Amino acid sequence: MVVGSISRGCQVAVIGGGPGGYVAAIRLAQLKKDVILIEQEPSLGGICLNEGCIPSKALIHVADLTLDATQAHEMGVDIGGVEVSMPRLIAWKDSIVSRLTGGVKMLCERNGVEIIHGKASFASDRSLSVETSSGTVSIDFEEAVIATGSSPMPLKNFPLDGETVIGSKEALSLKEVPRRLVIIGAGYVGLELGMVYKKFGAEVSVVEFLPDLLPQQDDDVVASIGKRLEALGMDLYLGHRADRFEKGDPSRVFIVDPDGKEVVLEADTILVSIGRNPNSKDLNLETIGVNTDEKGFITVSDRMESSSPGIYAIGDVIGGPLLAHKAYREAKVAAEVIAGEPSAFDNVVIPAVVYTDPEIAWAGLTEKEARAKGLNIVTGTFPFRASGRALTLNQPEGFVKTIAEAETKAILGVVIVGSSASELVSEAALAIEMGAFLDDLAGTIHPHPTLSEGLLESVEAALNQAIHMVNR
Amino acid sequence: MAFEFKFPDVGEGIHEGKILEWLIQEGNKVEEDQNIMKVETDKAVVDLPSPVSGTVLKIHASAGDIIHVGDVILTVGEPGETVKESTAPSKSPEPSKPETRPEPSSEKLEDKKASSPPLQTKPQFHSSPSADFRPLATPHTRALARKLGVDLSRIQGSGKGGRITDEDVEQAAARPHLMAPLPASTGEGASQTRTQSDSPRFSGTTSSTEEGEVERVPLSHLRKVIASAMTVSRHTSAHVTHVDEADVTSLLEIYGDIKARQEELGGVRMTLMPFFIKAAVAALRKHPLLNASFDEEAGEIVLKKYFNIGMAVDTPEGLIVPVVKNAESKNLLQLAEEVQSLALRARERRLSLNEIQGGTFTLTNIGPIGGLFATPIIHQPELAIVGLHTIQERPVVRKGEIVIRKMMHTSVSFDHRIIDGAEAARFMTDFVSLLSHPGMLMVRL
Repeated sequence: MVVGSISRGCQVAVIGGGPGGYVAAIRLAQLKKDVILIEQEPSLGGICLNEGCIPSKALIHVADLTLDATQAHEMGVDIGGVEVSMPRLIAWKDSIVSRLTGGVKMLCERNGVEIIHGKASFASDRSLSVETSSGTVSIDFEEAVIATGSSPMPLKNFPLDGETVIGSKEALSLKEVPRRLVIIGAGYVGLELGMVYKKFGAEVSVVEFLPDLLPQQDDDVVASIGKRLEALGMDLYLGHRADRFEKGDPSRVFIVDPDGKEVVLEADTILVSIGRNPNSKDLNLETIGVNTDEKGFITVSDRMESSSPGIYAIGDVIGGPLLAHKAYREAKVAAEVIAGEPSAFDNVVIPAVVYTDPEIAWAGLTEKEARAKGLNIVTGTFPFRASGRALTLNQPEGFVKTIAEAETKAILGVVIVGSSASELVSEAALAIEMGAFLDDLAGTIHPHPTLSEGLLESVEAALNQAIHMVNR
Repeated sequence: MAFEFKFPDVGEGIHEGKILEWLIQEGNKVEEDQNIMKVETDKAVVDLPSPVSGTVLKIHASAGDIIHVGDVILTVGEPGETVKESTAPSKSPEPSKPETRPEPSSEKLEDKKASSPPLQTKPQFHSSPSADFRPLATPHTRALARKLGVDLSRIQGSGKGGRITDEDVEQAAARPHLMAPLPASTGEGASQTRTQSDSPRFSGTTSSTEEGEVERVPLSHLRKVIASAMTVSRHTSAHVTHVDEADVTSLLEIYGDIKARQEELGGVRMTLMPFFIKAAVAALRKHPLLNASFDEEAGEIVLKKYFNIGMAVDTPEGLIVPVVKNAESKNLLQLAEEVQSLALRARERRLSLNEIQGGTFTLTNIGPIGGLFATPIIHQPELAIVGLHTIQERPVVRKGEIVIRKMMHTSVSFDHRIIDGAEAARFMTDFVSLLSHPGMLMVRL
């Protein structure tokens, strides 16, 4: 690394080494660009690898394992006392994270991407100033990709202290299972981690300001999750506003119900996860003409170009669904546009997954969204309790629902609730992206016995010709 | 009952036109077949006749409007009849919305360090205009559309349920009204002045960039058509060019002899083109694959039993290819007359649609301008095009002696999907032989 005031040059500077940034850097290098990737944390991979997608899935898997072990009696297996050692679990999780972040670093290096660790801000529209541990480095570039991601949104009266009041990052590295956990925010992070700690034995309360869970989702999906939360014994406070807390043993969280009445919850740990803000403030964007919206998200074209020529932005910092796989795709588009190719983000669907129990995954329009658009639709729903495979997995919860245009039978969306919904949704995404009709999927042989037959059956149900359920 | 005149499907590939002028007014009486308007289509300006007699009750489009096949343009009936309000033809897609990246402001340029690398400009590609629009097309097809600049929201897919196929996109690329808006002007910040350019052919908007002054010229209708036709051709045919040379010394002697007796031709100016056309027809008779097209859908080669020879004409607005129909049944004098008339009217944009359609093979005569040889682009849906190049005196060897002969390079670009190199070479050898030995051409006329 070059230090001091020496100026460096490259064709493309990528700011941020998360899912957006490292993918952009690698693709740019593949397209023969000279790339410098700037990351302020010691390891690459961003929130996703270090304190988001990957660590949370490790914890979720272990939580499910724990629950399965305690419930195996019915299936003829007695496992005895199940105990969770948080230190060993966190060490296992950390080993996965370091293996993956190390892998990303290796891939960048093998592709010829130079990595500089430091905090970058724009000195001009063609140069960056990067504060590294060994001084300031100035980097001149021809084009830049901003992939700085997002940070947890702070909540008034609940400042994070890393012990009593924590964010998702700390919640993935707890040394012990809290006895009483209060989660503020019933978004996917709150629901996923709430279920994890409930399964690890904590008393979990979830406080949500909005009157509904997952407001964009269909009622049948919300009902399915609501039922499960109840069965697990989680306390849900919908339409309640988190007002303040008093630290103590236990701490007391004061929340206000829809009628203005105060409710007090006891908590050993308070997890705040109410959304995320874009990391666009410290980049000096105003001076180089990069426009942001009122929330600070950078506005870009579908070719990922910002309002300043030659400056591109991708991932969480441009808003939309804050998902790693959206950033992956945007990264490739930006890299290809910079290389002069006719790329654009023209995807029809960005599939989404919530790793609750059961999992929720969808691609394309939900039934609610399709109806709100005034589309004339047909739907078909297949419950997993009618699936042989789901029953042998002891996972009868959930369903697959397919939404299609009534006239053409073009598939508009698929919503899946159930075991492995996260894996099943890709077939739906492919079908919609390829412009498939119901009979395209109906005419495709799905292996038996699998959960994937659920999609086939839901498609046939939409055609009123399902075999393994009674058609309406 | 009033008659609604819809812009008719005037021929293959013509889907829209621009109204240049109305020759009638509301209230006028029109006779059947009386010309009512001038329309500029892909390559010609056409007089459109009225299909019925009656009184013009309403004119639904104005001069300058782009009309598409099926648009109601005129209502004809009895005076006093009521007129149904019909759907107005879609407005002209021009002026197009600027899609260019804004130029950096001069202020910003000053801020920039002198050592900073320059901003690169990239080709502009179309982006889908509406976030809500969902084309029924695979990612592959969507990428192709971007590459060819086709706006998927403007085309009707030919597949089931309106699915847009690669072929739909390629066909759309040949129709300018389906194309994405083209970059037209620079963004704010740059100083702009509309200037009269030094060259009379361009009148665009000049602006200053970091590199120097540039002028941005909106594409003419014809230029857009040429641009997409060339892209489609390159994308469709497997182009290969084969080059040979003909010894035209004898042909020029005969031609000189005819020129000397010009007055006996009754005012028709003889050129070499009729000879080239005749030689092409004779060679094509022997090599029918080069006078054919490829029906990809049916998996069939369509051999044409007639010889409609297109000839490329350079006009101030751009390339136009009028077609000499049934060249096999016309003598050299008739061909000379027709070539002269077509070329003149091409330059004046007075060709009828019929005169630019239906070609089976094309000749492009680049010789008078100069150069050694070129690699012409095939005029779709034909399979071959012959380039005729400059005639020059060159030393060649004949019977062991170096002699000076009048030599001409000839090139043939052919579609290797259908025509193999050997067949193209046999055709060219025959063609060159006919030009080199005009006696043999007479035998085979």
